[in-house]
Amino acid sequence: MTTTMEPRRAATGTPAPAAGTQRTWRIAPTKAEIDPIGHARRLRTQKILLGVSLPVVLIVLWQIAAQLQWIDRRFFPGPIEIAQAAVDMVASGQWFGDVLATLRTILIATAAGFVVGSLLGIVMGSLSKLRYVAEPTLSAFYTIPKIALLPLMLLIFGIGDMPGYLLVALGVFFIAWISALEAVLAVPVGYREAAEAFGVSRLRRFGHVTIPAVLPAIIVALRISIGQAVLIVIMVEYLMGKEGIGYRIWHAWSLFDADTMYVGIVTVALLGYVLQLLVKVVGAKLVPWSGGTSAAEK
Amino acid sequence: MFGNTQEPSGPTAPRISISGLGKIYGARGKQVEALREVDLDIADNEFVCLVGPSGCGKSTLLRIIADLQRPSSGEVAVLTESSARRPAAVVFQDYSIYPWKTVAQNVAFGLLSTDVPKREVKDRVALWLDKLGLAAFADSYPAALSGGMRQRVAIARAMVVESEILLMDEPFAALDAQLRRILQEELLSLWQDMRRTVLFITHNLDEAILLGDRVVVMSGRPGHIIADYTVPFGRPRSADIRGSAEFASLEEELWLRLRGEVFPGDAAESKEKAA
Repeated sequence: MTTTMEPRRAATGTPAPAAGTQRTWRIAPTKAEIDPIGHARRLRTQKILLGVSLPVVLIVLWQIAAQLQWIDRRFFPGPIEIAQAAVDMVASGQWFGDVLATLRTILIATAAGFVVGSLLGIVMGSLSKLRYVAEPTLSAFYTIPKIALLPLMLLIFGIGDMPGYLLVALGVFFIAWISALEAVLAVPVGYREAAEAFGVSRLRRFGHVTIPAVLPAIIVALRISIGQAVLIVIMVEYLMGKEGIGYRIWHAWSLFDADTMYVGIVTVALLGYVLQLLVKVVGAKLVPWSGGTSAAEK
Repeated sequence: MFGNTQEPSGPTAPRISISGLGKIYGARGKQVEALREVDLDIADNEFVCLVGPSGCGKSTLLRIIADLQRPSSGEVAVLTESSARRPAAVVFQDYSIYPWKTVAQNVAFGLLSTDVPKREVKDRVALWLDKLGLAAFADSYPAALSGGMRQRVAIARAMVVESEILLMDEPFAALDAQLRRILQEELLSLWQDMRRTVLFITHNLDEAILLGDRVVVMSGRPGHIIADYTVPFGRPRSADIRGSAEFASLEEELWLRLRGEVFPGDAAESKEKAA
């Protein structure tokens, strides 16, 4: 079906044959193409196994180190002792109380700080005058360590839940604000002009163009915010809590109760992981068009 | 498999031999069959143009030959004498040149994973910048260039490799009609000066006849080859052949062959781009 042409030798330019050897490169289906469904399944299994194997290896190494007395077990108990302590704490209800207290602060304060921060960021990104007025001041406040404001908060609100909520909300606020602001400024001009050209009002443009355009960046910001919220809430609980995971860690430390302390630390790590996973899953549902980003990766 | 098996091949063995090639996208749920039973031989130093409706799998075929994707069935056998990592250089439709590299650095990138010595890299980059009229822009960043200039950079990057095979995926599609004609004529004389095996994908029938030794027509999705025309103009040829009656009648014939295929492929276009 094809016309076989006389092979022409090039006068110049073609690469010199490597010692005149001729090879054939064969491009053929690999296992992945021959059995695509099985391949996809293997990839998923592999992903889970790989993700689980590192923590398992670390825990096993830790247990071996404790068992063989490489580390001082009074300060560094092995995973099995910590697990036993965790079972006791869960059974007594103390663990749930602590998790609930910490989780409540994280969720309420993050929600508040994040919503206010991203809305302000979007509005400031859209209104240049407002941006000129408020950006320098907010940028200056951003760099103040939030925990340094705790004495001030205590002075204003007294000892209670409010200072904790406010500090977490503040920390999250700035992350959301900066991310949303930058994301709005990075929206391609063409998107805005298309909306303008079709006479879409500024208000409707928010819903149809601006917010969807910045949503992927906002979801990344939420993941960072969760981490920041956990960090701040634990610090606040160290300093002034009566309950919560941070309080439990600090309290256990002052009683030389290493097992309980480690249960607290592991609980924080798990809490952070679960919350981030939640954001990832919800994020993937919110931005189905944003393929390839970490937020959309299932 | 991407084997390097030595094989006794006669001098008339095709440079690229495609047999029974099929490609299906998607593992479960919605499956899209992009290519079905594609057979095509491309001889050494032959310039083959591939035309077909949007979304018919032309780009998929090229990407498989470039080993950017694997087929679902069938095989491509590429004959190579060089020691280069890959026997083919590729010019992409969207240029794919790097905004953080200068023009000269972008062109030199083509030689990054070859064993060409540094000294020679410089000379070869200079040579190809000169040939494509880019010498004055060697130190400019792509952002400072027009679309036509950027596409020249992408062509220079592929040419500088001086590989046995050149794969071009609608390289002029984003250019305006005038610039397109100029680059077509430049490519024509460039290729006639230093021949190599070319697979050139285009929507433009006029372009295909002007440049190609053969014009191969693909059907709508799933793409397979429905016609294979030998272009009746010898080499070297010039753009003047456009005025001839033969040229017009071949173009008309190609269009008649293609017209029936264009419609069903239309809706699928965006999907192929995404895949």
